[in-house]
Amino acid sequence: MSISALVFWLIAGGTVGTAVFAVIARNILHAAFSLCGTFLGVAALYVFLHADFVAAVQVIVYVGGILVLIMFAIMFSSNMVEQTAERRRGWMALAAGGLTAFATLQIALLINRHLSTPLALQNVHGGQPYVPTASVAPGQTSIGHLLMGQYLLPFEFMSILLLAVLIGAVVIVRKEIR
Amino acid sequence: MDLPYPIADGPDALINYLVVAAILFACGVFALISRRNAVGILIGVELILNAAALNFIAFSRFGHHTQNGAHLDGQVFTLFIIVLAAAEAAVALALVLAVYQAHRTIALDSVNVMKS
Repeated sequence: MSISALVFWLIAGGTVGTAVFAVIARNILHAAFSLCGTFLGVAALYVFLHADFVAAVQVIVYVGGILVLIMFAIMFSSNMVEQTAERRRGWMALAAGGLTAFATLQIALLINRHLSTPLALQNVHGGQPYVPTASVAPGQTSIGHLLMGQYLLPFEFMSILLLAVLIGAVVIVRKEIR
Repeated sequence: MDLPYPIADGPDALINYLVVAAILFACGVFALISRRNAVGILIGVELILNAAALNFIAFSRFGHHTQNGAHLDGQVFTLFIIVLAAAEAAVALALVLAVYQAHRTIALDSVNVMKS
């Protein structure tokens, strides 16, 4: 087994393991700390897929922003008796989770198979086997060109959405003053 | 154990990323259904969004390539997903704090009155 395969399996196993612990941990604070490992593992998988810029954004926004928000909410509304309360509908949830994993995997493979030219699983590029090379990672310059060109309208919608969320969150949590 | 292709970046590596994303998605659904704590449900939603983003990046990496490089549409969509996740987390945690101020609990089974 090559070094890159070994590293890939370590990272994939760590990602899956911390995700499983994040959903089965009884203490919600332990779950939040475990979620940090999941986010970092997904960022490492992005690096494996030559998406360096998205990996950096993942670490900054998820680990630096969302996880801190989650821990803030947990510690603000901390009630340790309730956090270790009984889980509800355990077996039904387990069955639904398993079914969802199976279904999403099958649907992804089905879509891939029925594309006009399937990705990577069969030969593309005129019969030649498709082998990704290191030179196909143009990086953040091309992403910037796409954001400012083809995806300018969604980009501007995102900025309006962030402004609305900023105002909405403040309105929701403010104290009523009469 | 000798494998015929590089697992992380070979022509058949797409399936490995799809499997990891499917397991993350299943964990998210499990948390959505089984958690009583509102923050636990939010953790499940974050896992589901991460699984979708991972699928986007994987299909972007193994998709069609133009002369001067890969198609980066999947990476752009992943950036949008990350922005949406941040916005959703901010609003959801504001709601959690508002519910806690009103009910002194965030267990969603206990929050069952419309007007307290």
